[in-house]
Amino acid sequence: MTSFRRLPTAGHVDLATPVNFTFDGKNYRGFAGDTLASALLANDVTLVGRSFKYHRPRGFMSAGVEEANGLFTLGTGARTEPNIPGTMVDLVEGLTARSQNAWPSVAFDVMAVNQLAAPLFQSGFYYKTFMGPTKGSWMFFEPFIRKAAGLGEATRDFDPDRYETRYDFCDVLVIGSGASGLAAALAAGKSGARVVLVEQDTALGGGLLSEPGLAGWRADRLAELKRLTNVKALTHTTAQGLYDDNQVVLVERRDHLKPAPEKGQSRQVLTMLQTKAIVFATGAIERPMVFSNNDRPGVMLASALRSYLNRFGVVPDQRAVIATNNDTAYATAFDLAAAGVTVFVADHRQTVSADLLAEAARLKVIVYADTGVADVGGRGRLHQVVLTGAHAATISCDVLGVSGGWSPAVHITSHNGIKPIYDERIAAFVPGGFAKTHFGAGAVMGTFGVKAAIGDGSAAGAKAAAVAGFTAEAAALPAPSVEDRAYAIQPVWMPPLTGKGKAFVDLQNDVTAKDIKNAHQEGYQSVEHLKRYTTLGMGTDQGKTSNINALAAMAGLRDVPLTQAGTTTFRPPYTGLALGAIAGRTIKKHFRPTRLSPLNDWHQANGATFIEAGLWMRAWYYDWAGKSPAEAYVREMEVVRRGVGISDVSTLGKIDVQGPDAAEFLNRVYVNGFAKLPIGKARYGVMLNDDGIVLDDGTTTRLSETQFYLTTTTAQAGEVMSWLEYLLQMHWPELKVHVTSLTDEWGGMAISGPKSREALELAFPGVDVSNTGLPYMGCKEIEFQGAPVRLLRLSFSGELAYEVHLPADYSIALWEHFMQTGAQLGIKPYGLEALASLRIEKGHVAGLELDHRNTLNDLGLGKMAAANKDFVGKQLLMREDVQSPDRWSLVGLELLEPAKSLRGGAILFAADDEIKGHGRGYITSVTWSTELKKTIALALYKGGLKHVGEEIVCAFPLKNELTRARIVSPHFIDPKGERLNA
Amino acid sequence: MLARRSALASFKPIRSAAVSLGEMRNFTLTQVAVFSHDAEAAIAAVTGPLPASASLAQESNGRIIFRNAPLQFWLIGPEGDDIGPRLAGSCIVTPLSHSRTRIFVEGTAAREIMRKGMPLDFHEAVFTPGMFAVTGLHHTPVLVHCLAPDRFELYAMRTFAANIWEWLADAALEFTA
Repeated sequence: MTSFRRLPTAGHVDLATPVNFTFDGKNYRGFAGDTLASALLANDVTLVGRSFKYHRPRGFMSAGVEEANGLFTLGTGARTEPNIPGTMVDLVEGLTARSQNAWPSVAFDVMAVNQLAAPLFQSGFYYKTFMGPTKGSWMFFEPFIRKAAGLGEATRDFDPDRYETRYDFCDVLVIGSGASGLAAALAAGKSGARVVLVEQDTALGGGLLSEPGLAGWRADRLAELKRLTNVKALTHTTAQGLYDDNQVVLVERRDHLKPAPEKGQSRQVLTMLQTKAIVFATGAIERPMVFSNNDRPGVMLASALRSYLNRFGVVPDQRAVIATNNDTAYATAFDLAAAGVTVFVADHRQTVSADLLAEAARLKVIVYADTGVADVGGRGRLHQVVLTGAHAATISCDVLGVSGGWSPAVHITSHNGIKPIYDERIAAFVPGGFAKTHFGAGAVMGTFGVKAAIGDGSAAGAKAAAVAGFTAEAAALPAPSVEDRAYAIQPVWMPPLTGKGKAFVDLQNDVTAKDIKNAHQEGYQSVEHLKRYTTLGMGTDQGKTSNINALAAMAGLRDVPLTQAGTTTFRPPYTGLALGAIAGRTIKKHFRPTRLSPLNDWHQANGATFIEAGLWMRAWYYDWAGKSPAEAYVREMEVVRRGVGISDVSTLGKIDVQGPDAAEFLNRVYVNGFAKLPIGKARYGVMLNDDGIVLDDGTTTRLSETQFYLTTTTAQAGEVMSWLEYLLQMHWPELKVHVTSLTDEWGGMAISGPKSREALELAFPGVDVSNTGLPYMGCKEIEFQGAPVRLLRLSFSGELAYEVHLPADYSIALWEHFMQTGAQLGIKPYGLEALASLRIEKGHVAGLELDHRNTLNDLGLGKMAAANKDFVGKQLLMREDVQSPDRWSLVGLELLEPAKSLRGGAILFAADDEIKGHGRGYITSVTWSTELKKTIALALYKGGLKHVGEEIVCAFPLKNELTRARIVSPHFIDPKGERLNA
Repeated sequence: MLARRSALASFKPIRSAAVSLGEMRNFTLTQVAVFSHDAEAAIAAVTGPLPASASLAQESNGRIIFRNAPLQFWLIGPEGDDIGPRLAGSCIVTPLSHSRTRIFVEGTAAREIMRKGMPLDFHEAVFTPGMFAVTGLHHTPVLVHCLAPDRFELYAMRTFAANIWEWLADAALEFTA
């Protein structure tokens, strides 16, 4: 019966350093250097989980990244992480592990009853069965099905841990640190190239860690590498994906440092590594065999048994059977025998080489040639193996080690789209080719001998360094004390299944040989269809041990060569990783950058409530005016309409346009004329995209013959800047103009209201801001207390108003000056809500109307377009559709039902229209008018102002509302502009 | 004089054995631009030698000069530097002292912190003192300048400076906690 014990000497495990951990609530002890898997096996815990669909008992089947069965949920509470292969987990003090997909315990799992109905649960069963009888049946049944099957369950708590992303660069990346990888890293490193060597395992060495005879060679090479300061070796690090231009994503796991990382420490680190060359030394993965009950705990890969023995000092208690179709498994058999285990080898091949037989005889290993496995006995623990063939027999044992040959780990070599190809020589897929900066070495290339792999690695490392620009030679490394033997294999893809139990091809997804036959019968014969129909090759292991057996089985059923069956597409990531590693620190407040006005600190300290406006955090309203936006903005509007208010307009885009051709440039950009704008005057301008659609509006002030101060809306600032640069670089390179964003250089504040001139007079004594000294659309540059200040007489609110701009760092000081000198006038700050509402009353368009779909005419600005000059967008502005009088164009709306609301986005219909579809337009902006004492709105409506006076219906389906409104002019207040010209 | 208030006025410097973060104030940033390489001579006549390279800063008469765009330079001088007015008329001059917040990151961990945010090769032998780059950090444009093997200065947009500071402080947490 399956049973393991720890040897007194334990390879790379430090038996002097005990490590305590729990599994399913029970305390265990392992040692430093153990993995969770080796520690559990050493504690004779062989049943560690239940299978995905049938809830069959499962134990470890490997000792590496390919583990399909031994998946655990690690940690507790918010640190719970499911589906982690125990073979890749360093044992750390306090580690908490739980089995998965089993209740109430892994030994007694209620859902194991599924096995009784197993004949029903073939591939496609759920979809075929639960799609009916009604349309919503699948939606009803799915939660129950998912609860009954599956792997671990993630926590719903927020992950408390920290993850990091970073960039790095190197000349040569070596993926894998086995014999070939170490040799490659040394060869490249000795050339002076910057080398990064990555190893997914917990220690460097790959297969060498399980080769006691090569321990010295490995140690010497590691010492050599350590002396090369230009070589960085990373363990616990997986090359997860290969991308264009030699960018490789590495994920380093630091979980082993502590179960709960200290402040600032990251659990996983994702590096986007840019390299000039890559050596793939990714090794190979042993294949299981397909036979009845091949999933029982105790059935393991032969190489895993050897690894547990030589690396961790964990051995089967007394007896082992090794089933193989190749020579490599004999190393396991001989090592086990040398450790005192009674070993039987069932070799599928009729002939076994004489040297192996001689060594077997010496170690008292019994070899049965021309013999395979028919079945195994035992459920939670294997206790016997039923052999078939020339030596049919039943052998009681602790474990069955299987070796169906080796599959090169080609996955990452094909991420760039080069499909692997089948190599008859080794009965496996190898890389289908490499880019000129990529090289393969060792087992991934089908080179299975250690000495050959070292030679491969040295050569590949030297070539990689050379393409990276270094002079390199394949390092002549000391020869290890082993001799390579030719890899001899006779593939056994799908032997006759004589046993009565299930014969699994994909252990993780519970896909059997019979499932593949069913898929074939139902027409899912392409490997990609086979994968989707059966789930074969999915899950956390991504078919690392199952794919080729399945492909071969399907090729056999289709009666085509394996070369024609092909493989599925390997995509990143190579192994599972925490989603946190991808997100890194781009979470919470670092999810995106936040932009702050130079007046932000004043707003913070003076009762502002903030609102996001794009990336900006803007003062929405102030607590002097009310505790809610609805209350506050109305009071703030009142201040502007009756007295004087001050508002932060620093977010406006501001652009310095300079050069001898600046006027000509702006004259081409804006639809209206700027060539003759007098110095000291501002002008409202509108610019179009080249498709004739309005891009943005704003005011531009001429500061000198060759310099203009251009402002944009807050929303379009970046786009306008890019547009101007594009025009200068691509269309008019002959124009001598430089443009520079001043949005960060200059702060701005609007002083608005009938008392605003008095506020300026109080703030700047001696400066003539009278109607003649600073007329509407005028500009005055002054110096105030050592700071340059631009006074612009502009109005967004429709009132007498000014904008005061100055270098950003001075903004708060000047704002406070205004608050102090304007106190006698009752000056108050007003926020974005009031700012936006005031402009609606005035009928000024803003971002909600400038939505990249409207023309000048749509927005009532058609008369601005100069007929006597060319400007960007002019030609396409003449398109018939753009000129149509039926386009949706700007109107005002008055609410006719005071008990109801107008809502932004409401769909507009004529009074007698059927309320259906897209209607005749929509509401863009809504506010309560303090002037008119009613709710008003701006809207786009088919035919626009020719419908003034008509009653329409505003539909808001989200709230099932229908509201009556009347179309009016969008200029709700002061249509003649008397206030702003006062 | 109107009081100046930095975008980082409410943040304190960060110091640990491995890294220090702080703000450099009291500097003048003047952008100058011309329309041909020949016209650069007029600038050089006032400033001293201009950098030939777009990746290597030039120290000239107490100023750091970056060639940070085609036919364009940033002149970093002391507070009150009058280089702008002196150059007016011979080139396009745009004062930008308030537009950038200058943050230094110094210490043995400085390069690793840089690696966390910018896709540049910060290897000691590659990004050497004097080199600079115009790049992106946390989705915002920055100019990063290496002044010593373990010292960098970042010119961040003022309106993003608080956010960049918080991002850097968070990136440095493993070295400062």
